[in-house]
Amino acid sequence: MISPVKIWRRQKDIRKILGKKGKIFLWTKIFTPGTGFKKYAPYPVVLVELENNEKVYGQLVDHEEKDLKIGKKLISVLRKVRTASVDGVIAYGIKFRPLK
Amino acid sequence: MNYITGYYTTKFGELWDKSLFDLVEEAINGVLKSTNLERKKIDAVFFGNMLAGVLGNNLHSTSKLSEILDVNIPVFRTEAACASGGTAFNLAKTYLDANSNKNVLVIGAEKMTDYSPEEVITALSAAASGEEQEAGLTFSGLYAMMANFYLEKYHYTEKNLAYVSVKNHYHGTLNDKAHFRRKISIDDVLESAYVSYPLKVLDSSPISDGASAIIMSNNLNFIKKQDYSASVLASEIATDTISLKSRKNIDEILATKIVSDKAFKMAKIKRSDINVAELHDCFSIAEILAMEDLGFWKKGEGGQKIMEESTTYGNGGNLIVNTSGGLKASGHPVGATGIKQIGEIFLQLTGQANNRQVKNAKYGLAHNVGGSGGTAVVTILSS
Repeated sequence: MISPVKIWRRQKDIRKILGKKGKIFLWTKIFTPGTGFKKYAPYPVVLVELENNEKVYGQLVDHEEKDLKIGKKLISVLRKVRTASVDGVIAYGIKFRPLK
Repeated sequence: MNYITGYYTTKFGELWDKSLFDLVEEAINGVLKSTNLERKKIDAVFFGNMLAGVLGNNLHSTSKLSEILDVNIPVFRTEAACASGGTAFNLAKTYLDANSNKNVLVIGAEKMTDYSPEEVITALSAAASGEEQEAGLTFSGLYAMMANFYLEKYHYTEKNLAYVSVKNHYHGTLNDKAHFRRKISIDDVLESAYVSYPLKVLDSSPISDGASAIIMSNNLNFIKKQDYSASVLASEIATDTISLKSRKNIDEILATKIVSDKAFKMAKIKRSDINVAELHDCFSIAEILAMEDLGFWKKGEGGQKIMEESTTYGNGGNLIVNTSGGLKASGHPVGATGIKQIGEIFLQLTGQANNRQVKNAKYGLAHNVGGSGGTAVVTILSS
């Protein structure tokens, strides 16, 4: 269950990885998601290796199909990550957009 | 030495008229009948189940099993995602190693089709890391990431993966307990809809209901009276990080490599001695990685080797893989899978596999994986 407190606790760490550059290490495109992600499907998910070698998961946004390849350079951005909970709390998290 | 003396499985599939515990009861009655074992002669029960708590609000299944069996013996439930069944078997074997002259019942069961696909996908995702869940990754998504990486690194295509599903669907036609009993072609696989790119519906195991049960014993008086028995040469478990991103290599399941080395060392046999194997093909890529990580094929050559079809029943190969139909065609009621795999090997080694019987099968291996590779269980049996 996604409680408001859980969302709040996770969000403390998000600012640390905002605006970071990196490149695609792994990728896929999800066509059959779980609850809370259906309205975004199909959506690409990437595992990004940041410049400091840390690896971070996130969805790829503002992209073209040709951006879905290992090694593509990206930057992390703040976005809504799932449909709002019954409590009305909107969960924000990290997503990535391609760098030109 | 511990021996398996009986096995029973329900049919796997969309069993709308059966509840989780209807399936459990059928499996228990079936296996007790096949071994002529009285309920009161069972010393302990080990139950593999993942989702009853998450999906059905059913916990304390240990007590429910006591009620079904009308006994007051120790009952343990194990959960290790899709390796819940294999883990239950491993604990049962450990129990027998510590206690002489005992009979144990090992059951695996899952009820999945009462719920929408989204609910089941979300429940299964509970076995992934929080960060993976928050990114909207599913299990098909995690295996798809591995598949993408593998195909690119070794220059294969989706067609290479498709051979796994074609083989396992053919085997499913030979198993009257299988969820799917129809042959499919390479084109069928390639033309099916994407689940998580590059994996498609026909690269993926289904959502199934089912229950499987085994009797294992080290009570020689009981074993002597049995029509069938297979000895348990090894049952080993290894674990690894829950998060795919924390793994050093993406083109392997490290837990499988570690556990297979341990199991072969314990069993004192060679890879080439294995005649039949049930491998964890939750997705087509997973069987190819398993063949490599278990040491049957070299790393990176699986995509080519699978196209030779040497592991298909009837092709005269030395090692036949997933005669049950695997998770792909036999179905994947998560908690039952690990028990069904060991049960299928038992059937093969005791000459009870009917129209899919591999001739002169002497050694068999079962390989059960939890999550994206966070748990791996390998069991080796001998006739």
